[in-house]
Amino acid sequence: MLENFSFRTIVEYLPLFGQGLVTTVWLSALSFVGALVVGIVLCAMNLQRGWLFRAPAKAYIDAVRATPLLAQLYFLYFGLPRLGFVLPELVVGILALSLNSGAYIAEIIRAGILSIPRGQVEASVASGMTYVQRMRLVVLPQAFKVTIPPLLGQAIVLVKDSALLSLISVAELTRAGQLLASDRFMPAEGFVTIAAFYLLLYYCLKGLAVVSSRWLGSAGARA
Amino acid sequence: MTKPTQTKTGPAKTGMIDFRGVNKWFGALNVLKDITLSVEPREVVVVCGPSGSGKSTLIRCINGLETIKDGDLVVDGQRVGDPATNMTQLRTEIGFVFQSFNLYPHKTALENVTLAPVHVRKIPRAEAEKAGRELLAKVGLADKVNAYPAQLSGGQQQRVAIARCLGMRPKIMLFDEPTSALDPEMISEVLDVMVAVAEEGMTMMVVTHEMGFARKVAQRVVFMDAGAIVESGTPDEFFSHPKTDRSRAFLSKILRH
Repeated sequence: MLENFSFRTIVEYLPLFGQGLVTTVWLSALSFVGALVVGIVLCAMNLQRGWLFRAPAKAYIDAVRATPLLAQLYFLYFGLPRLGFVLPELVVGILALSLNSGAYIAEIIRAGILSIPRGQVEASVASGMTYVQRMRLVVLPQAFKVTIPPLLGQAIVLVKDSALLSLISVAELTRAGQLLASDRFMPAEGFVTIAAFYLLLYYCLKGLAVVSSRWLGSAGARA
Repeated sequence: MTKPTQTKTGPAKTGMIDFRGVNKWFGALNVLKDITLSVEPREVVVVCGPSGSGKSTLIRCINGLETIKDGDLVVDGQRVGDPATNMTQLRTEIGFVFQSFNLYPHKTALENVTLAPVHVRKIPRAEAEKAGRELLAKVGLADKVNAYPAQLSGGQQQRVAIARCLGMRPKIMLFDEPTSALDPEMISEVLDVMVAVAEEGMTMMVVTHEMGFARKVAQRVVFMDAGAIVESGTPDEFFSHPKTDRSRAFLSKILRH
């Protein structure tokens, strides 16, 4: 069975996979940064008392979480040009991933902030800190620790989701697999190889999660 | 509003903390009923009473952790809840010690003490740290400056919390059942620190059932029940000759053991 499996072709295509891998890594990284920005803004809006900020944030988060990423991607890819915005595929892809992941990250950060005991806020209020001071000095540093593991989980999801960008012809990792599959009609070789690379990325991020939790565990202590 | 008019000469005749006809509701529950109480500078007042009687709510109103519905509450010459009062500024003059310590778990003991002085009072870090070390030494924790709260016992954490308040050089210290969450053998180390603070002339309101502490340093004991001040007097009067049935019933319960 394995005699039909062409390792030679994989080796031959390795530079293409390498490029795809590099593209996947940096576009995921960029999208994650974008998602963090979107998430922080949404979360800040969502934590306001005023209905005016909260309602749009909630509506956005629900809309993103309720619809498939592929639909969102196609909406941006095919819809935006109709509205007069013609953007390169790569930009559309990063935008879609940022906007999508941002909604999930907003909820992760909100959960982190709400997990901080009320007494922490009361202690900082009682010492005369302003809202900004107590967020910056007391709440966010503690919420940050709680948030790191789920954020890395979201990063792993984002890396896998980036495979969808192959559908709008972004030359990332999955696209490389598709090319091998269609050029040489070797789908097994193509997709096993990209699976191996995704696994590699997964272990890198997981390793980062382990290292960070160990680092967070030693800096300071549990509540 | 049962009060006729607000006195024009408000701040002139007030104590450090002045409740005048203060009421507060949680929904339909009248948790503070027409409280009138004045605490003089350097006075130590112990507040006691059964659980749910409004003691904690009473002192939490003073720094605005709870808001009042009507009546006047004047602290250090400023009306609490008045839009013209800068509550953030007023709070820097009021130390608050919680039952559950509420130390910042991501900060060392010293950082807990210096955080507000550096960021709120804008004291230079070196100066704040020097003062912080002195305060921690004063509460008997000179060797724990770099320990995190989770590495400290309850009694040690509460002493750090007291040092944290003193670091702001407040005019008033409020204690909300500071020893209730502690193991018995740790209570005295915290009370000793509180006695020392009182003896330095701090204006204090202390919600506690530690009658030994009350007898030792309090000028006045206030007994609350069901949101109202039922009785108020010197510790001696209150413990030896309680005037009301309710205070007698309360004392017989807490002094039985």
